[in-house]
Amino acid sequence: MRYFGGCDAGSTYTKCVILDENGKIAAGVTLKSRIDPVLSAQAALDEAVTQVSDLKDAGELAYLVGTGYGRNKVPFADENISEISCHAMGVHTADPTVKAVIDIGGQDVKGISIDSDGTVLDFAMNDKCAAGTGRFFETMANAFEMPLSEFSKLSLKAKNVIPITAQCTVFAESEVISLVGEGKPMEEIAAGIEMSVAKRCFVMAKKAGAVDCVALTGGCAKNDGLKDAIEKVLKIKVIELDIDPQLMGALGAAEFARRKGMSA
Amino acid sequence: MKDLAHIYELEKLLQDTYNEAARSAKESGRYAIGSVCAMIPEPLLNLDGCFSVRLRAPGTGSLEMGTYYMTSIMCECARAILERALEGGYGYLDCIFAPDACAQMNRCVENIDKLKLCDNGRFFVTYADVPMKSDETALRHYVRQMKQYVLEPLHERLGIDTSDAALAEAVKRQNRLNRLIMEIGAYRREEKPRITGYEFAVLCLSTFVCPKEYMIPILEETLDELRGREPDAASPYRARVVMAGSEIDDPDFIRLTEEAGAFVAADCYCLGSYPERTPIPFDEKEDALTQICRHYMEQGQCPRFMNTEKIRQRHQYVDALAKEYRADGIIYQQIKFCDYWGYERAYASEVMRGEYGYPVLSIDRPYTAGNAGQLRTRVQAFVESIEIKRLGKKGS
Repeated sequence: MRYFGGCDAGSTYTKCVILDENGKIAAGVTLKSRIDPVLSAQAALDEAVTQVSDLKDAGELAYLVGTGYGRNKVPFADENISEISCHAMGVHTADPTVKAVIDIGGQDVKGISIDSDGTVLDFAMNDKCAAGTGRFFETMANAFEMPLSEFSKLSLKAKNVIPITAQCTVFAESEVISLVGEGKPMEEIAAGIEMSVAKRCFVMAKKAGAVDCVALTGGCAKNDGLKDAIEKVLKIKVIELDIDPQLMGALGAAEFARRKGMSA
Repeated sequence: MKDLAHIYELEKLLQDTYNEAARSAKESGRYAIGSVCAMIPEPLLNLDGCFSVRLRAPGTGSLEMGTYYMTSIMCECARAILERALEGGYGYLDCIFAPDACAQMNRCVENIDKLKLCDNGRFFVTYADVPMKSDETALRHYVRQMKQYVLEPLHERLGIDTSDAALAEAVKRQNRLNRLIMEIGAYRREEKPRITGYEFAVLCLSTFVCPKEYMIPILEETLDELRGREPDAASPYRARVVMAGSEIDDPDFIRLTEEAGAFVAADCYCLGSYPERTPIPFDEKEDALTQICRHYMEQGQCPRFMNTEKIRQRHQYVDALAKEYRADGIIYQQIKFCDYWGYERAYASEVMRGEYGYPVLSIDRPYTAGNAGQLRTRVQAFVESIEIKRLGKKGS
């Protein structure tokens, strides 16, 4: 049996997926990224390899595709493919009925529309600013002095939404601190934060042509409050994927690797 | 491929707003004329005794000072140039001729003037009106404006000979340079091109910031070198594109595009080769200034021209370039907050995609784009989508 790898060297997390010849997931790993993407990718690959008894090290993968911001730095990679193409392919592999994706990563937001073969039809992407990305949520959770997992559920309890006017992460943090100081309910402030990001996703989803449903990928896809806010803002269904949405980039990279490796 | 003999020298020149070639021309007693727009024809600024330098701000960092005077919603290019002028980068200029083409750039030039950032005791600025349509009435107006706000000040304030004979000589020089650029650029048509889009962008941009006499021998030698240059056996590119849109005065943007797999086979942007380096038709039957102005008015692809005919012509022009240079797709890019391209990019992207059937990547970008990872990702994803569709077509 041959194995094919996809390694998504993201800005906050590095993910790795290994597929077998039949496209079955043999390994899946998510690790916090280090400053050096080479070290992050190496660590993720090493850990993924331990989940596949037939493999001794990443060099034995029949084909390896790197993706994510550190895609050029993935050790042993046969090629690199942009995370836009990989997220589209990953979602298509997980659920071929999905035609639109919002990927909210550590430092960017992307809207992607998918063709029937899993390739990218169109996409939109934010620029350098980290507003409305994973970094934004991390900063907000820090301001609330709670773990990200707890923060992501907080807004679900809110009866009202207190709008956050600032989009900039730095200004939004100062606005949130002022609101907390005024004694406003934490869950309503959290709902305002989720809503502000959902509105940013609205723009990306519209640009990418989302019509009836959309899938969320990236680490922020695990944020229940955001999912709820996106459904309210976009008025379309957010599809639950059966596979960890944070792994979609790596899964797409692995699927590209599998296709290329099998056709070689 | 082996490096072009002059590329390092030109890359180095482009890092400085007062480059060695300009410095040497200035030291020989010639006047340095600042230019901010293609609508002031280059031959008028390159008569004997003077030379033009297109303003730009290489290696821009923070735009704090420029933003203080111009606010954060103004074009980053205009702010960056003001920032560079505030840093002292343009103190050597003797004048700037600005057309009323881009209001944001004019605010930049006004600030340079009012803040006395080029105060050498002689420095002056003029603003000329330039046409928004292309017809005979507009041409007459254009000619009058160029006479009043460019040629007369050059003659009266700097003593430059602006006679028809002097203009004819300047056109001859300009056309020599333009033909060399077009001949060099034609090598991009090859399936395995012997020049990269980046190298061509460096050569082309250098012709806007260095005296023409300095550039002509360099271009001649480069053309000779290219005739015998062997392209790489395996092309590193996965798609060919036309780069269109607002001005690009930083070849690193072209390099970034090519590193992401898209060979920039043709260009249609300010400070590129099309249409700015197409030779000026010139004969003895009509006065020199009218002929020069007609060429710039008719060939101009700036979205400032707003009549329907010109708008259609712009789409046809990019389509023709794409066909001639066998491009797989088009990249429309604009610098953030560019008034004209903000509209044109959105519209042209839709037209080229919908009516002409090209894959189009439409992006707004910061003024300095060389190291932007997100831009690289967008271009790479665009290349991949072109490549995958191409493979799909072959398969079916």
